[in-house]
Amino acid sequence: MNSLLQRSSRNFLWQHPWQLVLAILGIALGVAVVIAIDLALESSLNSFNQASKVYTGAATHRIIASDGGLNEKLYTQLRVKGVSHLSPLVTGYVKLAQADKDSFKVVGIDPFIEKSFQSGWQNGQKENVSPDLFTRLMTEPNTALLSEKTAQSLHIQLNGQLSLVTSRGQQSLTIIGFLPHTDAVSEQVLAKLIITDIATAQEVLDLFGKLSSIEIQLTNDAPKFEAAIRSMLPGNALLVSLDSQEHSLREMTKAFSINLKALGLLSLLVGMFLIYNTMTFLVMQRRHLIGSLRLLGVTRQQIFTLILSEAFLLALIGTLIGIVLGVLLGQGLLQLISGTINAIYFRIDTTALVITPFQLGKGMLLGMSVTFFAILLPAFEATRLSPVKVMARSQLESGSRRLIKVVGFSSGFLIIGGLAVAFFSGKSINLGLASIFLILFGFGLLTPMLTLCLMKLIECVFGRFLGVLGRLPVRMVSAEISRTGIAIAALMIAVSATIGMDLMIGSFRQTVAQWLHSSLPADLYVSLPGDKMGSDKFLFDQQLKDKIAQLEGVQMVSTALQTKLIAAGELTKTTVFELATKSKQSFIFKHSMDDSLWDRLENQPTLIVTEPYAYHHALQIGQKIDLKTNQGAQGFEVIGINADYSGDQGHLIMSRQIYQRYWPNLGYTGIGVYARAEADVQQLESRISQLLTTQQAVKSNQTIYKASMELFEQTFTITEALRWLSAAIAFVGVFSALMALQFERIRQLGILRSIGITSSQLSVLIISETGLMGLMAGLLAIPVGFIVAYVLIFVVYQRSFGWTMAFYFDAGTLFQGIVLAFIAALLAGVFPALKMAQTHPAEALRTE
Amino acid sequence: MDKPSAITIKQLHKSYQESAQQQVIFNGVEMQVSRGEFIVLLGRSGSGKSTFLNLISGIDPPDSGKIIINGIDISALSERDRTLFRRHHIGIVFQAYNLIPTLTVAENLLLPLELIKRLTRKDRDNVAELLDKLKLSGRLNSYPDRLSGGEQQRVAIARALIHDPDVILADEPTGNLDLDTAGQVLELLDILIKKAGKTMIMATHSQEVIGQADRVFSIRNQSLHLE
Repeated sequence: MNSLLQRSSRNFLWQHPWQLVLAILGIALGVAVVIAIDLALESSLNSFNQASKVYTGAATHRIIASDGGLNEKLYTQLRVKGVSHLSPLVTGYVKLAQADKDSFKVVGIDPFIEKSFQSGWQNGQKENVSPDLFTRLMTEPNTALLSEKTAQSLHIQLNGQLSLVTSRGQQSLTIIGFLPHTDAVSEQVLAKLIITDIATAQEVLDLFGKLSSIEIQLTNDAPKFEAAIRSMLPGNALLVSLDSQEHSLREMTKAFSINLKALGLLSLLVGMFLIYNTMTFLVMQRRHLIGSLRLLGVTRQQIFTLILSEAFLLALIGTLIGIVLGVLLGQGLLQLISGTINAIYFRIDTTALVITPFQLGKGMLLGMSVTFFAILLPAFEATRLSPVKVMARSQLESGSRRLIKVVGFSSGFLIIGGLAVAFFSGKSINLGLASIFLILFGFGLLTPMLTLCLMKLIECVFGRFLGVLGRLPVRMVSAEISRTGIAIAALMIAVSATIGMDLMIGSFRQTVAQWLHSSLPADLYVSLPGDKMGSDKFLFDQQLKDKIAQLEGVQMVSTALQTKLIAAGELTKTTVFELATKSKQSFIFKHSMDDSLWDRLENQPTLIVTEPYAYHHALQIGQKIDLKTNQGAQGFEVIGINADYSGDQGHLIMSRQIYQRYWPNLGYTGIGVYARAEADVQQLESRISQLLTTQQAVKSNQTIYKASMELFEQTFTITEALRWLSAAIAFVGVFSALMALQFERIRQLGILRSIGITSSQLSVLIISETGLMGLMAGLLAIPVGFIVAYVLIFVVYQRSFGWTMAFYFDAGTLFQGIVLAFIAALLAGVFPALKMAQTHPAEALRTE
Repeated sequence: MDKPSAITIKQLHKSYQESAQQQVIFNGVEMQVSRGEFIVLLGRSGSGKSTFLNLISGIDPPDSGKIIINGIDISALSERDRTLFRRHHIGIVFQAYNLIPTLTVAENLLLPLELIKRLTRKDRDNVAELLDKLKLSGRLNSYPDRLSGGEQQRVAIARALIHDPDVILADEPTGNLDLDTAGQVLELLDILIKKAGKTMIMATHSQEVIGQADRVFSIRNQSLHLE
């Protein structure tokens, strides 16, 4: 490319610095949001695997058990039968007496076997720790290793005491060594880890004779060994490969991940409109320059290459800034995302942002390609500019109007196609979300045409009351529709996505609130945490239940045990109920039911499944689920499908009577207390609390309701944050478009000033125009937001989580949407209005 | 000169900052224009003709000196007051027509009136009548970009006159037009402005116009010289 040609183009860009900055900002913000989500999400999910690698090392498989744990004899049996490379683990959570809010993971290991597994925690130890340490860990009771950093923060010296709060009261461990970290992740993991030997962990966690898992390192002929090991396992044990476990964790969070990434892409879509708008402006502003260059013999191809090389430079700078912003934003989102994963899916102890070149490359590619896609049309437009006669703005606009009509009518296909994809794409979440993008994009393309029609309508209805000056803002929106239309479309997309998500979250909130009210029939709930492998836990639980039932003011009690059973080769959450008469009313069935259901549940091998479970496993009433018991596989008939919003994977519900036929008594995880009508519930609560240990708690149904709703709101914090980000990008888009517009029409504004319009009148004129644009975006966003909400509720969320919910219409949300669009546009118009009002009319008239 | 004075200019100074240099345009200009007088301004490109018109219209403020129109020193007015003064007392015709592209022909004419007062049926009738005189009655609801150059300039002249200003400023009104069309436009100016007794200052190169002017000034060496 000729360097003078490039210089002519570059000089123009330097003369419009704010336009340049806004273009780069548009690219940067879009890329930043996508990168931030990707980094935060991947870091959260990877941290789970990284954390387990800290104590599983080179293990390839794991033997786990449903609640009740593995009998430690299994380890010996496997060794005797010739299975080598085994490492037993006892794990559980404890609280420190020193720092009362943090829970620490206790990992009990066999130090000498563990060594061959090259666990992460050992890698840093090789040179620093004497071999005696492992011997001491095994031979000296109640000894442990702790992270160097944690020890410092807790002011614990070598051979100092670490006090733990356990279910058996306070217990002390002697810290005989420190764990140095090797990287950021291991630093985070180790910070919350206490390494002991098996016996100490069993004592601390009250798991005498039990193991949490046995890690296995299979190298050759894995399938053959797997089959052999499986044949040796008892009914409650399961052999899983660590790869498949990682895969199932990813599957579990797939819907969550896809939905988050879609929100990121929404920001990029809005950003794309902004890039398109800016690049079109940069091309159109240079139509004289391009015309002159063409007269001098510059070819169309050279013009095209010139524009593309400019876009490349902008994309490169914007993307690089976007990556830096994305990493910073990712740090903030990491806490929100890992918090949500913790609340809904599984426990993550580490929260360090891990940045890989692959993710950065992905962000780079995305930023560059979106910019190139957005620039193609303006670049083609540039090549079409006549070398002889540079087209006037009005001529360009009439060309744009023809395009708007064609695009407007074609957008119908996108919208109808989007709706068709939404409702005829089976269970695919990706296609469900793609349908929303098609619908949004379709309406985005339709927006300029609808704006023209609505402006015409406004003029017809209000024209005679508005006067000539009042009609000007309406005319200005229509006259420069190629510019205003794109800004309105970008704002409309952001606002309709906001309305759609608000309506969906509102509907979800109402549904969950109703479900919570119904599913908390007892007055008080006692939670009985602690490992369900505890040796005599069931005895204590039973005694507690009897004591509560005998208290004055207690009408009846129910119990629940949340456990895991093996269904179809997977550990499956199961709630085992001992239902009181009133508890039965708390079930919301998704089908008609008769009274025989309860009788069958309590006397026959039957179960109820929650709606998400039924959805994910395509289960219907009458089908059977095979559960692994100590007596072999047993089929349980599904006799009910129950609404449940406690998790998106769903669970099984079984009566205690049936459960105890096949599985050991593990006590309870909760007791529901129904007070007599005349009883003082608060007094009853305090009487019950006197019966409880420090780890147990009693809460009223109202407290649980409030806490649950708070958790609900917390899970949507990330959604809120992301949609505000896309709204911010749309705001930048509108701002950029308005600045460009005012810059383009500076001469026209100068003429208005020359015929006697004051600078304040000019400001009002410009702000009226931007307000009108915002109003238009808000009005159009209402039906689009409504459609988005409908697809989110009945397609995306149902496919993602298996929940059905009622659509609750909230007029306030729609009103807020209009106000948001209106205010955003007004604010975006303030600066251009002030700038134009300050521009000297003589200067404006001199502008070509 | 026994007619009352419409425009009085005293010790007018104006300069622009161009990069590091101060570009002096006018240095102590003095001028007096009587009511109904037709003044022509000559000067090479860049001599300051448009700047002079901008100063008289109040679009551009002088660095120093006085510009008194109808007894009001507009150089002492605030920017807002100068705008309001221009709205009522000045009509401007530009070389590039400068019609508002988003308003129809009729609306372009109504806008100066609306800025002054509430529009009445009579105003609309007057606009229609004026356009009829200009042979543009069929173009009432057309947008400016649908009009030829001559038609646009006729509308621009009508816009400059519609609110009955005291002073008309025309900046090379025929500069963009061919000879025939320029002749028609000048004839129109003669009928609508000169014969109506309006004060007019026109910057032009047209010899035909020079012949019709009461006085001709040329701008040289940062001041006005009577030809």
